[in-house]
Amino acid sequence: MLKEMQDALIAGKKAEVEALVDQALAAGRPAGTILNEGLIPGMERLGVQFKNNEVFIPEVLVAARAMNAGLAKLEPHLAMAGVKPRGVVVIGTVKGDLHDIGKNLVAMMLRGNGYKIIDLGVDVAPEKYIEAAKANGAGIIALSALLTTTMVQMKAVIEAVEKAGLAVPVVIGGAPVTRDYADQIRARGYAPDAASAVEEIGRIIAA
Amino acid sequence: MTSRGLVLDSLEFRSPERVPRQLWTLPWAGLNWPAELAAIRERYPDDIVTCPGFLREPLRTSGLEYEPGIFIDEWGCRFENRQAGIIGQVKVPALRDWAGLDRVRVPTERLTVDLGRVDDFCGRSRAFVLAKTWSRPFELLQFLRGPENLYIDLAERPAGLDRLLEKIHAFYLEEMELWAGTEVDALVFADDWGGQDSLLVSPALWREMFKPLYRDYVGIAHRHGKYAFMHSDGHIAAILPDLVEIGLDALNAQLFTMDIAEIGRRFAGQLTFWGEIDRQRLLPYGTPAEIAAAVRTVRRAVWRRGGAIAQCEFGIGARPENVAAVFEAWDGPA
Repeated sequence: MLKEMQDALIAGKKAEVEALVDQALAAGRPAGTILNEGLIPGMERLGVQFKNNEVFIPEVLVAARAMNAGLAKLEPHLAMAGVKPRGVVVIGTVKGDLHDIGKNLVAMMLRGNGYKIIDLGVDVAPEKYIEAAKANGAGIIALSALLTTTMVQMKAVIEAVEKAGLAVPVVIGGAPVTRDYADQIRARGYAPDAASAVEEIGRIIAA
Repeated sequence: MTSRGLVLDSLEFRSPERVPRQLWTLPWAGLNWPAELAAIRERYPDDIVTCPGFLREPLRTSGLEYEPGIFIDEWGCRFENRQAGIIGQVKVPALRDWAGLDRVRVPTERLTVDLGRVDDFCGRSRAFVLAKTWSRPFELLQFLRGPENLYIDLAERPAGLDRLLEKIHAFYLEEMELWAGTEVDALVFADDWGGQDSLLVSPALWREMFKPLYRDYVGIAHRHGKYAFMHSDGHIAAILPDLVEIGLDALNAQLFTMDIAEIGRRFAGQLTFWGEIDRQRLLPYGTPAEIAAAVRTVRRAVWRRGGAIAQCEFGIGARPENVAAVFEAWDGPA
């Protein structure tokens, strides 16, 4: 049933995923097992396919929607069972920048991979990231920027995090952003695409 | 040799006297580097110009496209912007549900072109003239539906999507036919199809749904003896063979997201590369020496007695000395 759930998820079949989650719960499967052996491996397989250019943004979005539907069914059970998310990620597009397609994709992929996402939206000032990270016990702050003129705000966020004495790693991404730039501004992680962001954040959280 | 002659020679691989050029700018450049921009324009005048719209009826837009605030375009798409000199992004799509499909208003004012003035403009121009067409079915779908809705539509293919695309395409065909009947040299269409390292949608979906539209646009251009020019941002290597196959004449693409040498090996001599030089990294952060090296890379890859237009965008973050270096390098020895 869990393999079937993964396949339905990858195919973006929302109603089927919901039905399979219901069936699994009715059959007495623990919510944590359904999540960790059904839904999350499905999203992981999808991430690999995305990275290999076997699926593209439309397929990822419908799969993420199916994942969210499955998660909505599971969440009350996960809460009762005390199952924790893989980590908490505060994410947002930096100050002065309204672009959010890439940021939303990263947030969806992370959510689908078991992370709790605090999405601050767009045009986010440095202090907002810090407030949200503190308030939610974040393990990662993720920054997005599309413009060369706004990516400099990433440095401002990192400096604000350091000044606040917050030991939360910052991961950055967006069209003009490079690994060199990440190193230059002391970002802990960098991801060129959404699937890589999931991997990078997974590596940092596991470290 | 006129500017127009240079462009024609490059498009036809007839060894033009020099590589024709065109500088693209965002209003940001004029706001931030007015003197430098003017100097570049004076030193390296464009060989390609876009004909003004010459519309008899004004477009029904509101707000200013490149100013902070809200701009509503002629299709009713609402762009929000925070920075002067660049365009904003659609945050609230005009067509949130398909019930509103019949209310999507086609901007017929764009069809009120004063053809006599267009022909007069073309007759007086020594430059190669592009029509004021910028047909962009995929981007317009995104603006109308919102990007996330549209991507889900593309996966699920609701009937409304096909109807909307038919409506858009029918308008573009009419507009292209109109301009093709004038003295312009080329029709232009555009859609950003690439992400940083791949296509945004599967090549199969692109071929099924969008390639036929571009084939129609190229067909109109060629039937009227015009050239077909296309712009597409991002990594679009997967569809380059298709663009060659439908007969595209000139492509403006972000070559630096792709393997330029490989592109040259496969496609040089089959279409003209209308720029560009890397605007994500080199133009804002590179040096003139790096720009010169980048131009050499492009020239080596794609120039076959023609097949290139020296082009770059003076856009957000770009350094004026780097923009000038693009044209200096193209003017220099091979």
